[in-house]
Amino acid sequence: MDIPPLLSHFRTHDVPLELRRGRGSVWDDAELHRSAQQRDPEGYALLALVPGVLAWQRARVLLATLAAAQDGLDEATRATLGKAVRALMFGLPPAHAVTALLALRRLRANHKHTTRAIVAFVLEHPEADALIEARRPALADCFEHALGKATARACARLAAEGDTGSAYLRRSLLRFTADPAAAIARLRALYGPGTYGAPAPREPPAPLDPITEHPPVVTPTNRGDIAATLVHLYRGGPAAELLPALRGYVARATRGLPRLAANVAVVLDASGSMRGYGDREWAVMSQAVALRLVLAEVCERLTVVETGGTARAPAGSADLAVALLDALGTGPDLVVVVTDGYENHLPGDLARVVATLPRAGAGTPVVLCQATFTRGDDLTLRDPAPELPRRPFWHQDDFAGLLPWVFAHCRPGRAWLRTTMLARLEGART
Amino acid sequence: MTSLATILPAPFDLGAHRAGTPQRAGALTMVPVYGPVRPGVVPPRSGLKLHRVVGYGRVELHNGAREGVAIVPLHIGYIQDAAQNHALCASALMGAGQTRRFDDACCVQAAQGGYLEGRDQWFFVLPLELRAQALRLRGRHDHAKLWPDISELNRASGLPSRGHLEQILSRRRAVLTQFRSRLELMPGQVGALFFVGDRFAGLELAPDPAYFAEVWMALVCFAYGVAAWRAEPEPGAARPYDADSLAGLRAELARDRAARLAEVVSWLPAPAGDVRLVEEERYLDLRLSTLTGGGLAGQVVTEHGRTVYASVFAAE
Repeated sequence: MDIPPLLSHFRTHDVPLELRRGRGSVWDDAELHRSAQQRDPEGYALLALVPGVLAWQRARVLLATLAAAQDGLDEATRATLGKAVRALMFGLPPAHAVTALLALRRLRANHKHTTRAIVAFVLEHPEADALIEARRPALADCFEHALGKATARACARLAAEGDTGSAYLRRSLLRFTADPAAAIARLRALYGPGTYGAPAPREPPAPLDPITEHPPVVTPTNRGDIAATLVHLYRGGPAAELLPALRGYVARATRGLPRLAANVAVVLDASGSMRGYGDREWAVMSQAVALRLVLAEVCERLTVVETGGTARAPAGSADLAVALLDALGTGPDLVVVVTDGYENHLPGDLARVVATLPRAGAGTPVVLCQATFTRGDDLTLRDPAPELPRRPFWHQDDFAGLLPWVFAHCRPGRAWLRTTMLARLEGART
Repeated sequence: MTSLATILPAPFDLGAHRAGTPQRAGALTMVPVYGPVRPGVVPPRSGLKLHRVVGYGRVELHNGAREGVAIVPLHIGYIQDAAQNHALCASALMGAGQTRRFDDACCVQAAQGGYLEGRDQWFFVLPLELRAQALRLRGRHDHAKLWPDISELNRASGLPSRGHLEQILSRRRAVLTQFRSRLELMPGQVGALFFVGDRFAGLELAPDPAYFAEVWMALVCFAYGVAAWRAEPEPGAARPYDADSLAGLRAELARDRAARLAEVVSWLPAPAGDVRLVEEERYLDLRLSTLTGGGLAGQVVTEHGRTVYASVFAAE
């Protein structure tokens, strides 16, 4: 499984998963998902948990994971897949999850883990009562697909007649649930009359992505605590007060993240444009330095090559091409170019150097992290090497998705990604 | 570094100035210039203010510094929303505390009512395409005198053919101001050579780095940025170097850069021959002169024969 392009696809291909009458499910990237899932079922499912993956892509991963058989997988992998499925089901907007579960029916995909997942979604969803009220026919379809129509209806009839634990009910349904009493009540509701026009819950009960700031007006100091503190240091604020706080904010941002067992080199653009001017002065530089500080905490070995001025005193023009060659000279597993995208010193040189690297025998992955002022910056004239994988960032919140994307480009990063996402699964509330 | 001794005709002496490493942004090449500092000249943004607009084509500037002479940058203009924006046709020397009225200013926004006030203003320098004509029109009292040339510039830029320079300066501001980041002001820089494509566009020299830093944005974004924006090349595919190792790649890059630097040096204008110099005004030992001919035009401030300020551009 080639993680970087797959992760980029997950982040950018925002096309709904559609169900059309008589045609089954429609998804233009089904083959991409199918082949990725077959190559590495666990890695594929965990990749969907990376912050920033689009909801419809997560729905596809849920569908592909539940549709695939688990023959030949060991118990640990099955357990991980079960947790990932649960995280996705409850981390998606309910409408997305329902679409994926209905697609399973169209695909006639049913395995024991599929049954278990559908029953959990229908009867154990944190907002199951409201969901059943609003989406009763769709959920009944899913439920009958999971158990079989005759079995599902027999269970419903028994539940309606007051059965709360007969052998049949236990064998057919209750063994799939954690809370039999709640399951019986919801089963009755599922086959009850329902309420026309009842509003369906729209928000995921256990969101997969951390809550991010969306300030209406972006300033240099509302782009995360690390950058804000750095801005005050750049402005000459009291170091005795700010430096301990800075260390604390960096520690908080990296808490729980595993170490990346790799040698990472950072090319840090410290040119005058990174400093900026006017209302935006220090905004971009501070966020770039914030990323550097976080990488220094997470990476086992970090080498920084500054170009232009220095991180403390950014000035002059950036020579990104020579800085990249200097960084490659340190023998890294990965090079991260952190820049605003303005290549001042003979632009085009970075692109030519990058284009030459394969024939020069340099197989080290290189990625470009583009520091911007807001998420809406016009980057038309700020793409110094179009062949390089590139991702912008403007806020500290972006690091949650940026680090997995960056590290996925190097071999040690795959283990880091797996460990990080497993930790997220263990920390999940549902 | 390359000496600039011969770039301006005698008697201007740039022998002590040196050209640094070129930077490029699309069609615009900027070669930073380093050289001697003349302290005590008031920078244009922090010291010089638009005092008021007395009437159409009549503008008052004020040197608010406690001490130091102000050199008004050639073709400086002021922009403010919903007002008649004006630009000056010539440079000037103003003593500390002095207020001076310029009756030959040109409106750069046709049919726009209202006068500029001293607040909420930002300044620019007229685009290269208008500078020769503006210099020719200095001394003529006609606030509409530059409108035909502005209309032509707008038309040539694919914009409605009107005498509104604001169409370019304000509405294209987001693109133009990126030249400030695409090209970096270097520490200690007192001037710059500008080239659009492979043609010399202008030489700008300031008395000291602080002065140049204050006029930098107006020069790079508006005086020369407009021509560069109009000539912005399409990005091409990156051609790999012929190198089979990192050391080889580094060597190829260095060789290629040396060739490109030599190419930029070859773009420098030949020493101008048939040049006319006219002294316009003086302040103590400072002399402000207008230079025309030899494919160049502009104004230069000297002191005891040494060049303190220059804004000289290509003029067909």
